[in-house]
Amino acid sequence: MKREIPLAITFISGFLLIVALFIPHKPFGTLQETFNDWYIIVSGFTMILGIDSLLLHNWNKVKRRKSDWPYALALIMSFFLTFLWGLYSIVYEPTHNPFAPTASFLKYFYKSIFVPLQATMFALLAFFIASAAYRAFRAREINSTLLLFSAALVMLGRVPEGEQAAPYVFGIIFLLFAVYFFIEASLLTAGFLKYLYIALGVLLLAAIYPVGKLLLAYLPKIADWIMNIPQLAAKRGILIGVALGGIAMSLRIIVGIERTYLK
Amino acid sequence: MREFFEKLGKIDRRIIYLIVAIGVITPILFKARLPIKPLPEVRQAFDYIESLPESSAVLISIDYDASSMPELQPMLYALLRHVFRKNLRVIMLGHWPLGVPLGQIALEDVAKEMGKKYGVDYCFLGYRPGIAAVMLNLGKEIRSVFASDYKYTPLDSLPMMRNIHNYNDIALLIGLEAGSVGDFWVQFAQARFNQKIILGSTAVITPDIYPYLQAGQIVGLIGGLRGAADYETLVNTPGPASIGMYSQTVVHILVVALIILGNVGYFVLRRRK
Amino acid sequence: MVPLLLSILFSLEPVRNVRAFDTPDDGGGSITVTWEIPESDTFITRIEIFRMEGSTEATPELVGYFLRPQTQFVDNTVEDGIPYYYFVRIRSDSVYVDSKITTTPAISKAQWFSGRRLPALIILVLYFGFLMFYIFKAKTGGSLFIRKIAGLEAIDEAVGRSTEMGRPILYILGLGFISDIPTVASLAILKRVSKKAAEYEAEVIVPCFDPIVMVAAQETVKEGYLEAGRPDLYNEGQVFYLTSDQFGYAAGVDGIMLRQRPGAVFLQGLFFAESLILAETGHSIGAIQISGTTAVTQLPFFIAATDYTLIGEEMYAASAYLSKDPLALGTIKGEDIAKMVLVVLILIGTLMETLGIHWLSNFFALF
Repeated sequence: MKREIPLAITFISGFLLIVALFIPHKPFGTLQETFNDWYIIVSGFTMILGIDSLLLHNWNKVKRRKSDWPYALALIMSFFLTFLWGLYSIVYEPTHNPFAPTASFLKYFYKSIFVPLQATMFALLAFFIASAAYRAFRAREINSTLLLFSAALVMLGRVPEGEQAAPYVFGIIFLLFAVYFFIEASLLTAGFLKYLYIALGVLLLAAIYPVGKLLLAYLPKIADWIMNIPQLAAKRGILIGVALGGIAMSLRIIVGIERTYLK
Repeated sequence: MREFFEKLGKIDRRIIYLIVAIGVITPILFKARLPIKPLPEVRQAFDYIESLPESSAVLISIDYDASSMPELQPMLYALLRHVFRKNLRVIMLGHWPLGVPLGQIALEDVAKEMGKKYGVDYCFLGYRPGIAAVMLNLGKEIRSVFASDYKYTPLDSLPMMRNIHNYNDIALLIGLEAGSVGDFWVQFAQARFNQKIILGSTAVITPDIYPYLQAGQIVGLIGGLRGAADYETLVNTPGPASIGMYSQTVVHILVVALIILGNVGYFVLRRRK
Repeated sequence: MVPLLLSILFSLEPVRNVRAFDTPDDGGGSITVTWEIPESDTFITRIEIFRMEGSTEATPELVGYFLRPQTQFVDNTVEDGIPYYYFVRIRSDSVYVDSKITTTPAISKAQWFSGRRLPALIILVLYFGFLMFYIFKAKTGGSLFIRKIAGLEAIDEAVGRSTEMGRPILYILGLGFISDIPTVASLAILKRVSKKAAEYEAEVIVPCFDPIVMVAAQETVKEGYLEAGRPDLYNEGQVFYLTSDQFGYAAGVDGIMLRQRPGAVFLQGLFFAESLILAETGHSIGAIQISGTTAVTQLPFFIAATDYTLIGEEMYAASAYLSKDPLALGTIKGEDIAKMVLVVLILIGTLMETLGIHWLSNFFALF
């Protein structure tokens, strides 16, 4: 029974909501809204569970003097500080609103602590993108080389004056590749591959000037094209797969094939 | 020599962080600015606001919070300056409760700077839960969701709100987006009520919004720091976004340079093996 | 000024073809009014819609107005079963003209079937048909092949390696709620991870973003330990709530990574801008990382920064793949067939649009 009842609830509510999509008549038309309201109410109460878990977990760390327990203590203290400060703002400050422009909560907590902390975490992305890009974009094979080139084109094409820098950047890339091909060729004995490498190297050197000219004139357009055509096409392909997979997964949940979320 | 190339292929991440930090901070310290050519979609947004008749109402929605502030806050300041300069009226609300105060801070700042009066030239409604429900009800009657502004003043006591009831009375909706609220605006305000919309968004979600512009569902798009800098340029009040743009350009070039160095190291090492 | 006024006076013609009808495909309480504006009316400053209840003789009531030229109004203030009549007034400043009153009464009622959603229903029935067909085929013993998914094959290896190093395993469910399908898919992977971890007697840490997800994760981990025959190893403190603030959560998880130094990090679920912050920190501590998400914008970050990535639907396939449950595998087969059908439809649609035939795109645009 412990398993059957939740499965039955899942099946009935899932089936009802699908049917409701096609029936505007009462009570079906407003069913989704009603279910959403219930979900919001229930999830509001589960916040208590969350707070209980958070405080207990960290209090245990402090009590047992586990390693790094001062962090746990800092968390508990910040929790109560925020909570009590908000409460104080509601009860004692003239506007009874912690987010009123004059409230001390907004001025000292929100603007001076919360906002900078959030912005700091987000700002870390700039550093992480640089280190991840440095590691990930290696010309290991044809595919990753293409990825590397399109990444460079988009990165430079999406900033003002990017087209001024691009000819130099790509000139250097082409030069390096040409040098690489010449070195490869010099190590090979005469044969088709040797001449191919030499030809490729020469081709790259010859391409530096015309490609530079092209980039100077059309870089932003090229970057937009990469974003709007190949990028969007790949994205849509993944999205269609995700949508179909999502429906299949929902069906598995509704008919009870997928039940990991149940005990 | 070999060691040098080996190092190029494996630059310590802390060195990369340091290089990026210097690249970001230096232009900001020197307040350096690049000449900016506004993107067409940003100009489109600017022109639309230019074309609005005086004292039309503009609804601004704050759908972001502090983490996306560097991109969207300068955008909001530039937009507010433009809107107030055109003597349009601003109604502000928001769907991200923790970000709504940011909108209010900017609104008060710019209003003070331009000598605008609360209740006459602008008003601040605040936040109500339920994204779709709020948007749908705004199409029927604002008062059904916001009976009063954030100070509990009834809307009818604000002179500017007397004749404003729903989207029909709002000439333009500007949504500043860091998540999916923009999709809701298009779905509900545009598709159902034919509301004219301009969206401003963080760079990360801008690609998701382009299709709306292509389909004509929004009348302008201001994307990322670049968009904010473009807008600052258009309203002729260069600010943090224009300065940040220099940093962004420098960092983009640095990252490309790092990628090239990494590849040089990689190729040389592969050769040796 | 005078010629301008005159031109307004002479050019203001009443709107034509005012029609009022029950708004189709709705739950009642709504009437749609449409009209046409004569081309000569170029100075409209206001359009007003009036309604009369019961008969054309009743007092007109203003039910809506526009400040821009519009040709449709939806009156949501009507009651079902009562006949209403409408007329439209257009104004050019103080001058106005009224249209004729609608001749047939409009009566609002609720519909039992939404006609405009018919295409969606057809697709849904077809798709469910495919899925059910393959579920039954699987039930009757037909063998189904599923290709190798590297990210899922690597789970055991990651858990094993982490155990060898004597480090815990960190499992991140992302920012999704229990109503998000990626979160449910992630729970299935969590079950496998915790089962393996219990077999190796390793610790699994699951910091959560949402309290409901936390409860589900607790059950899942407990169940995984039980399946491995080691319920004694499980303790509630392994799965705990952190915060429901995006970057607060990222900061908290990063802190756990740096202090507890997990040997394996799983990032499975719905992720937003914090994805790279988590993945790069995980990389910096040298953990083996397996990521997976359906959030398309975050996939490039995961691919760049983690060792294995489950792309989109691979994540949904995970539970079927790991459990080898024939019924679940059947739905994946059905999904693939549906995808083929869609590809063919897209190709046909593209061809038809190119040739200027629009009925297929119009059919699907209805939804």
